[in-house]
Amino acid sequence: MGRKKKKQMKPWCWYCNRDFDDEKILIQHQKAKHFKCHICHKKLYTGPGLAIHCMQVHKETIDGVPNAIPGRTDIELEIYGMEGIPEKDMEERRRVLEQKNQETQKKKQNQDDSDEYDEDDEPGPSFQQTAAGQTPAGYIPPIPQPGLPPGSGATGIAPGSYSGGKLEIQLLSMLPPVGHHPGITHMAQLPPAANMLTRPAIPAVSAPAAQPDVTKPLFPSAGQMDSRVASTSAGSPSADSESASPIAMFPFTAQCQGPPTLPPSTSSDLSKPTFPAYTQATASLASPNTGNSTVSKPPSTMTSKPATLTTSSATSKLIHPDEDISLEELRAQLPRYQRSIHRQGQPTAAAPSAGPMGGMMASQQPGLRHPIPSQYGGPPQGMPGYIPGGMPPYGQAPPVGPPGYQGAPPRPPMGMRPPVMSPGGRY
Amino acid sequence: MTGSNEYKLNQGPEDSISAVKFSPSTAQFLLVSSWDCTVRLYDVGGNTMRMKYQHTAPVLDCAFYDPTHSWSGGLDSQLKTHDLNTDQDTIVGAHDAPIRCVEYCPEVNVMVTGSWDRSVRLWDPRTPCNAGTFTQPEKVYTLSVAGDRLIVGTAGRRVLVWDLRNMGYVQQRRESSLKYQTRCIRAFPNKQGYVLSSIEGRVAVEYLDPSQEVQKKKYAFKCHRLKEEGIEQVYPVNAISFHSVHNTFATGGSDGFVNIWDPFNKKRLCQFHRYPTSIASLAFNNDGTMLAIASSYMQEKGDISHPEDAIFIRQVTDAETKPKST
Repeated sequence: MGRKKKKQMKPWCWYCNRDFDDEKILIQHQKAKHFKCHICHKKLYTGPGLAIHCMQVHKETIDGVPNAIPGRTDIELEIYGMEGIPEKDMEERRRVLEQKNQETQKKKQNQDDSDEYDEDDEPGPSFQQTAAGQTPAGYIPPIPQPGLPPGSGATGIAPGSYSGGKLEIQLLSMLPPVGHHPGITHMAQLPPAANMLTRPAIPAVSAPAAQPDVTKPLFPSAGQMDSRVASTSAGSPSADSESASPIAMFPFTAQCQGPPTLPPSTSSDLSKPTFPAYTQATASLASPNTGNSTVSKPPSTMTSKPATLTTSSATSKLIHPDEDISLEELRAQLPRYQRSIHRQGQPTAAAPSAGPMGGMMASQQPGLRHPIPSQYGGPPQGMPGYIPGGMPPYGQAPPVGPPGYQGAPPRPPMGMRPPVMSPGGRY
Repeated sequence: MTGSNEYKLNQGPEDSISAVKFSPSTAQFLLVSSWDCTVRLYDVGGNTMRMKYQHTAPVLDCAFYDPTHSWSGGLDSQLKTHDLNTDQDTIVGAHDAPIRCVEYCPEVNVMVTGSWDRSVRLWDPRTPCNAGTFTQPEKVYTLSVAGDRLIVGTAGRRVLVWDLRNMGYVQQRRESSLKYQTRCIRAFPNKQGYVLSSIEGRVAVEYLDPSQEVQKKKYAFKCHRLKEEGIEQVYPVNAISFHSVHNTFATGGSDGFVNIWDPFNKKRLCQFHRYPTSIASLAFNNDGTMLAIASSYMQEKGDISHPEDAIFIRQVTDAETKPKST
């Protein structure tokens, strides 16, 4: 970056606390955001300069620096880039940065730990996950259930209370079975364990959930989640199979169901330090030419789920179909392309489980796999997939992908074929 | 709206374009795969289509092995190679589900394919024959070659780094630092890292060296977002292509815009005019003088009517692609 006077840390704006790579960029930022006249848009060099300009040219007084955070609006302080920043604010800044660095270090270590746990259906890690329920704990509630000895699970936990209180109770009630580690050790491991929620938790959710249904009567909504997870876990270990309704039950699930565990909108410790470059960069990449004002907003205003996406919020809308599978997979499911896949007569006769494929496009690739043409049990005899034997209503020559008709014909024929129709039925 | 530095290719595919790739040594030849089940070879200088061959289903990706051989695969799950001199096809092999990516690794001299059957397969281009099948944790959505390493992006936001000379184990398992589905990954020409884009208008620049000091340099930024009437429209970033000389990269999104970025100074260098519809694929040619831009609707809003799919060839200048010295 090559600037000599950097005051030993990255240049930052005193008025709004933002970080910049370069003092030059910082100055450009200040001129554009803080020292710009709201009347004539002239860019001045300092706060006092702006005040004087407004007074002399427009006969107007301004009471504070525009776009400054509260406490930093002093119009009389002469600050230019990093020069003029009061010493106590510099120190405060250094302290805050150090704190953040420490957290980053701690989080980074914990991230490394979490990477080692690839498959997790042992009670050990899942206990810790449960214990970490206080933070982004969305899918924690189902996990402890199999681990709970039937007795402790039944006692004193009201089915209706799905808030953090319940999780804490479970934590305490689980400590005895854990035994060798004193409860304090577990406690200490709570925040780090939260990071393990990323991948390990997902297989853990489907695995333990398939286990004893002792808790079903006690946790009715969780029970539903179990059954849902159990049915889809047969199809695939991926968390993509979890549908949206568990999210309704467990409000904080919405924020971290599946891999995107870090609740984007809450400023929990986990989200900020883990990708410091990420959040900082969104601020620093505001190229002055583009006026891309969205960059300065918080990193994300949207939550996400594996199977379906939260595609819109009050301020933003994701231009993508709801299902969280790739655009190509979605497109391949269109009837006009399915026909050309069928025509090849893929002989794979394996019938994937009909359940998850039933109506859920989100569910997996079965819709694209070539088991589908198995209805012919082999070569297609020159007839495109959906038309049942003996019924060539459209007399269609099977040239490559003519989008003549879409959707309606496939349905009735599919009904006539006993096994494995499900993906077709989707259309 | 094309200036004299940009023109549309004639005889374009009749359905959406899935990939455009320039020949590695001849700056003039462009391979195009499409949902109309064809793979076409264009002479971009003369704006003519030189060759076309068929698959039995939409083709999702294509790649040059060398200037005279193209490889392609798609929904028919078959991997084909086509000799561009003799206009002859050969079916090399198949996956168990549609092939999503086809790439060539010059350092190891191997073709790589990634599929929705959750595997990556290597192929010896000389024989040609299969040289191994390697399971991935999820369906493969994108992959890129960096020297002798392979970076695979799968569903579930997983990223895996493999050493193509030693495929016995995964070299690095990562998770995308973006919270949304991975759309595209492309490796830096200098092999130091890769760029990853998601469906949520965001791009991350990451490094391969796992050491902490290098990992601190990674960052991400928002892009391909438009503000309309107070609502921010966030678009998938479908395509990334690196300029071979300057190490800058272009991104194309479903908003129809192409941006060129300087990853070292973290600045946007340039934005072209808006194209008729989503950008499905981008490719710089080997000397960085031209950018092929495939403008194809990708069904982001469902199966609706849309502007015609087209491929534009644009002459790019240093001003647009070279980092500005600050």
